[in-house]
Amino acid sequence: MSLTAERYLNLIRGGAASLGGRRQEINDLNVFPIPDGDTGDNMYMTIEAGTHAAGATLDEMAEAVSSLMLLGARGNSGVILSRIFAGMSKGFKGLKEADAAAFTAAMKAGVEEAYHAVSQPVEGTILTVLREGVDAAAGSDSLEEFFDLWIAGMDLSLQHTPELLDVLKKAGVVDSGGAGLLCIAEGMREALHSRFTESVIPSEASVSPAPKVDFSAFTEDSVLEFGYCTEFLLRLQRSKVDLDRFDETVIRDWLATQGDSLVFFRDGSIIKVHVHTMDPGAVLSHCREWGEFLTIKVENMTLQHHENHMDQRFKRSRKPLGVVVVASGKGLCDNFREMGADAVIEGGQTMNPSVERFLEAFDQVEAETILVFPNNSNIILTARQAATLYKDACIEVIPTHTLGEGYYALANLDPELPMEELKQALTEAAASVTTGLVSQAIRDTHEAKCGEYIGFSGKDILTAGAERADVAARLATSLKAGEKDILVIFTGASVPASEGEQLYARLEKAFPTTEVILREGGQPVYDYLLVMC
Amino acid sequence: MLKIYTDTDTDITPALAAEYGYKLISMPYSIDAQTTYPYVDFKTFDAHAFYDKLRSGVLPTTSAISKEQYLNYFIRDFAAGNEILYVHFSRAMTNTFDAMDQAIAELKAQYPAARFEDIDTKGITTISYAIVREVGDLVKAGKTLDEILSWAQTEVDKFAMYFFADDLKFFRRSGRVSGLAATMGTLIGVRPLIHMSQEGKMVSVGTAKGRPKAMAYLVDKLGELGDDIQNHRICIGHTDAPEIAKEIGRMIEEKYGPQQIEYVDVNPTAGSHCGPNGVGVCFHAKHR
Repeated sequence: MSLTAERYLNLIRGGAASLGGRRQEINDLNVFPIPDGDTGDNMYMTIEAGTHAAGATLDEMAEAVSSLMLLGARGNSGVILSRIFAGMSKGFKGLKEADAAAFTAAMKAGVEEAYHAVSQPVEGTILTVLREGVDAAAGSDSLEEFFDLWIAGMDLSLQHTPELLDVLKKAGVVDSGGAGLLCIAEGMREALHSRFTESVIPSEASVSPAPKVDFSAFTEDSVLEFGYCTEFLLRLQRSKVDLDRFDETVIRDWLATQGDSLVFFRDGSIIKVHVHTMDPGAVLSHCREWGEFLTIKVENMTLQHHENHMDQRFKRSRKPLGVVVVASGKGLCDNFREMGADAVIEGGQTMNPSVERFLEAFDQVEAETILVFPNNSNIILTARQAATLYKDACIEVIPTHTLGEGYYALANLDPELPMEELKQALTEAAASVTTGLVSQAIRDTHEAKCGEYIGFSGKDILTAGAERADVAARLATSLKAGEKDILVIFTGASVPASEGEQLYARLEKAFPTTEVILREGGQPVYDYLLVMC
Repeated sequence: MLKIYTDTDTDITPALAAEYGYKLISMPYSIDAQTTYPYVDFKTFDAHAFYDKLRSGVLPTTSAISKEQYLNYFIRDFAAGNEILYVHFSRAMTNTFDAMDQAIAELKAQYPAARFEDIDTKGITTISYAIVREVGDLVKAGKTLDEILSWAQTEVDKFAMYFFADDLKFFRRSGRVSGLAATMGTLIGVRPLIHMSQEGKMVSVGTAKGRPKAMAYLVDKLGELGDDIQNHRICIGHTDAPEIAKEIGRMIEEKYGPQQIEYVDVNPTAGSHCGPNGVGVCFHAKHR
């Protein structure tokens, strides 16, 4: 069997379907006993983005999968996953199909690309699992054999990850990224022989929220100038056409007479259409001759045009410096905006934004240089990937690892400084911050029982107890809040205002030479976020 | 006969103005398109109520008074052929004095016997307050207009004022401070440190991490630049932060011995530009 474009897409879909069913399992492989694991979600959303690819030859398909996944990548594991497929795409270059040897070569290119994705590759992670798996499968005579050996090799490697990484050993889990990849590989193996035709329909996860539309751009007196952007998925109906012999170019040719900007492709019995037309009603009625609609989206292009027009206008007067931050929790997002962030990407530990989301934010900010504060170790790589893909502005990622680091760094943003000095000042400001977090344990550990609260900083659990405010107070003490100038308390979504105020009063008394500030953060998962500098 | 004027941007209250014989020119501010003239539209300034309003998110604006208003203020003393001295807030911060100049030019043409002089305190609020009081003291002591003007020539630059504010949105909106980073006291505790420059402008001189450090900075600045402080008032102005002001006063006396310290409520018009919880120390200095 050789790997064709269609088979390759099926592998991706099979991998996505397999991980989709087990993403929570992967999320739960969390080194911290709190509900903030997201590796499964991140990897799923990344590979899922690749399932919408189209291409006639293997290399075209692999390239489409790769570029969609690069855009859809979320979290470190998602970015690494997207780079595996980017490497494979390079390996397939010029190939219409691939045999076992070509596939092995492409996988090796995938390994290499994945290692390049991170500045300091760590063993005991998805990288090790991938590499050892591919090594085990090298020399396979068939694709079937490759997948069998690859999966067996990865499984073995995965079981060894705790020996390579202390944090895994301590938490009693295997590496979540590696586990996610194994899960994907298993789905791919299954898909070698089966066929997925349904996943051409965009899943809920991949549908981006509707942009805000300014309805005032089309008033009672407006004249329809640009028509309607019309998109739909049409399922060809057996009762209406002969499915086996139907030539979809009939539809394409007819649509071409109805408008412009036509994008058209067929996947099994599903036809995907995008067309700009003055009369969407006529298009929709006519297309029902061949099938029924699965989804329909029609938008007045004057509104879209208005938005683009606005963009153009802003582009001409772009400001020199813009700021994009990632934050979660209404209060925190508002605080960041007040501090001068031009765009706040909602996201964080349990909801990593995709590369695409970053690109949208960069567009929105309209600045010559954009500073990005990812505010999470697991989002820095995504931000960097977005930065390399974005061409309309100079993007500088300040590698802030926590919300606290980003928050304080932003307070030190002096737009008058030359960029290199500014980057250094911001990075130094971020490095001077100590962040403490309080969250509820969801399983028993050495330090805390399930249901108790743990106070931690970085990877160290410093205190635990039944009362979260007590835990927060002890955490502040063990992080030497009394020796800092500032302690900002952000209360989480589940903390009532009165509890926060009591903690504030208590800490203000405990640390008289430190300025204690109480802010409503509204962040999920973490009951308290303590920022000290 | 010497007649003295000052304006409400110098923090002088009507009671104190009356004690010195100052006539008070009211500088307005507006909230939600409603303009208020301090001590014309109200008798006593309720600083707490005013700054609380700002804390709740209100952003007032300030406006310049017109030529006609200046004419009304000065015409009687011009007509009487008096000597007129106006001790006012910084010319570099406003365009209101262009209107005044026009009014004065008209009045001078109409009443050539009168004499008009002004002293620019090159500052606003507490620093102007200190200078207005010193000028008032000189008038009380029977000094002539020329003696007072010559005093001002060297002494105005010897009043220094350093202050910090909590929330920069007020400054941002007014655009009256140069060189500000995006520091936000209420959000992160990093406060801009600002001083009143020789040119009569507010200039950022750095930031302080946490209020305790900002307070220590003001106290240290007094030690560094203070000159003959025993024989001058130390004025601590605040925008509804009496406790912080008192604590700074205590720190000053602890470090430099007992002083003549006065606590001053920053007037609402100037306070509209710096917002609540700001504190500044004004003292007699080697230079600004």
